[in-house]
Amino acid sequence: MHKSRANSLIFTTLSVAYAALILFPVFWMWSYAFKSEAEMFARPTVWLFRPTFEHFGYMIENGYHHYLVNSLIVSGASTALVVIIGTPAAYAFARYRDMKFRDDLFLFVLATRMAPPVCLVIPYYLIYAKFDLLDTYLGLVIAYLTFNLSFYVWVLSSFCRDLPLELEEAARVEGYSRAQAFVKVLLPLLRPGITATAVLCFIFAWNEFMYAFLLGGQNVKTLPVGIPSLITTQGVRWGEMAIIGMVGTLPVMVVVFFLQKHIVRGLTMGAVKG
Amino acid sequence: MTEISAAPAAADRPAAGESYHRESRWYPYALIAPTMLTLTVVALVPFLYMGWISLHEARYGQIGAFAGFANFEKLLTDPRFWNSMKVAGLFVAIAVPIEFMLGLIGALVLSQRIKFRSVLIPFLFIPSMMAPIIVGLVWKTMLAGSWGFFSYNILERFGILSGSSVFASPDLALYGLIFVDIWEWTPFMVLTFFAGMQALPANPFWAAQVDGANPVQIFFRLTLPMLAPLLVVIGLIRTIDAFKVYDTIYILTNGGPGITTESPSVLGYKYTFDFWEIGTASALAVVIWLVFFVFCNVFYQIAKRRLNVF
Repeated sequence: MHKSRANSLIFTTLSVAYAALILFPVFWMWSYAFKSEAEMFARPTVWLFRPTFEHFGYMIENGYHHYLVNSLIVSGASTALVVIIGTPAAYAFARYRDMKFRDDLFLFVLATRMAPPVCLVIPYYLIYAKFDLLDTYLGLVIAYLTFNLSFYVWVLSSFCRDLPLELEEAARVEGYSRAQAFVKVLLPLLRPGITATAVLCFIFAWNEFMYAFLLGGQNVKTLPVGIPSLITTQGVRWGEMAIIGMVGTLPVMVVVFFLQKHIVRGLTMGAVKG
Repeated sequence: MTEISAAPAAADRPAAGESYHRESRWYPYALIAPTMLTLTVVALVPFLYMGWISLHEARYGQIGAFAGFANFEKLLTDPRFWNSMKVAGLFVAIAVPIEFMLGLIGALVLSQRIKFRSVLIPFLFIPSMMAPIIVGLVWKTMLAGSWGFFSYNILERFGILSGSSVFASPDLALYGLIFVDIWEWTPFMVLTFFAGMQALPANPFWAAQVDGANPVQIFFRLTLPMLAPLLVVIGLIRTIDAFKVYDTIYILTNGGPGITTESPSVLGYKYTFDFWEIGTASALAVVIWLVFFVFCNVFYQIAKRRLNVF
C-alpha cells in the first residue's frame, strides 16, 4: 500500500512538473504584453514588475482590433460553410460503406488535406490575381476550405460510425424518408460530434498564417498576420507581438478545456477514438 | 421483399416505399456531391493548374511557352532543392524519434495512478493546438539573443552560447527548430499514446499479470505490439507535417542563416515570392505532392486494414 502511494506521488509530481515546463514559455511570453522595454531586455531577468498597458494603447491606435474582427469573420464563415457542405458527406461515407468508388473518393478527400499549403498557395495566388479575389474575405474563406472541409468530413465520419443503425431503421419503419430520418433522428445525436469537429475547424482557420499572409492584403489582415507586421525597420515590437500571442491563444485554451476528449480523435484524423 | 434480394447490400436493409431501389443507388452520391464538387474546385483544379504551369516557362506571373520537363530538370539540378530535402530529412529523422520516445514514456507515466490527471490533460494540448506562428513567437522571445529567458538563464549560464541567438548560428539553428518542434508536439504524442493505451483491451494484461510477467515484458511484448498500427499512423502524420512546417521557420529563421534551415515549404515560398520563378516553384510543389500522395496511400491502407477506423 505504501509503495503504491509513494509511486503515485512521484508520478503526479513528474506530470505536474512536465505540464509546468510546457506552459512556462507561453505564460512568460504573455508577461511581455505588460512589461516595459527596459524590463524585457533586462539582464539578469526581471521577475517582478509593475504592469504597463502602453502596448495595448499602441494596438488600438494602429487598428489592430480590426485584425481580431477579420479573424473572427473569416474563421466563422469558413467553419459554417464547412459544416453545411461536409455534414451530409461525412454521414454518407460512414453509412454507405459499400457504395462504388467509396474508397477512392475518400482517399481523394484525404489527399486534399495532406497537401502542403505552399503547393496550393502558388496557383491560388495566380488564380486570385486574375479573378480579383486577392485581399478579400471570400478569397480566404475559399482557401480555408482546402484544409478544413476534408478534415471535417474525415473526422465527422468517424463520429458517424458510432451512430446506432437501429434508430434509423426504426425511424424508417415509422414512415420517415431517408432524409427525414437523417435530419430528425440522427442529426440531434450527431450534434456533439459536429460541434467538436466544427470548433476544431474554427481553431485551424483561426491559427492559419500562410494563406492569410500571402492571399490577404491591406483589407483582410488576420491576427496571425499581425505578428510579422510588428517586426519593423525601427525594431521589433515585442510587447505588441505578445498581445497578439495572448489574444490568439486564449480562445484555443478555452476550446482545449471543453473539447479535450475529442481533440485526440481530431488531430489523428479519427485514428484514435477520443 | 424482392427489392431486398435485388439490392443485397447489407447496409441498405431498411427497405420502404417503391422508389427504394433507385433512391438507394443515388442517395449516397447526392450526399457527397457538394463536398466532392467543392474539393474539386478548391483543390483539384488549382493542383492541375499548377501541374500545367510546371510544364511551361513561367516567371513573374507570366506563363510562356511549353517547356517540357525543363522546370523539373532545373529543380533537380538545383543544390538548394537537395539541401531543402536534407533539412526536412534531418528534421524528421531527429525530431520524430525523440517525440516518439518521450511520448511513450510520458504516456506510461500518465497511465499510472496520478492525481489531478483530468486537470493536467487539457494543459498538455496547448502547444500543439495553439497557432504555429505563435509557437514561433514564444520561442523567438525565449531564445532571443542575450535577453531571451532561455538564452540568458540556461544557454549562457552553462556556456553553450553567449551574446547571440541560437537561430543566428549556422550550426545550431536547425537544432533550435527541432527543439521547438519537440516542445510543440511531444505533449500531443503523450496524449495520443495515452488514449491509445486506454483503449486497449484489459484481458491480455490480466492474463500476463497472472502469468507473472514483469512490467518491462508487458510493455515490450503486449503494449507496444498492440499499439503498433497507431504508432505507424502517428509516425506518418508527423512525417508529413514536418515537411509542411512553414510558420515556425518563417518567424524564427526564414530558412537562415544562409540556407541551413530552408525546408521545402520555405524554398517553395522563396522560389515564388522572392525570385518569382513560378515554373520551378510549381515543379517543386508537384514533387512534394507526389511524395505526399505515396505517404497518404500508405496511411490510408494501414488505417483501414489494421485499425479498422475508417
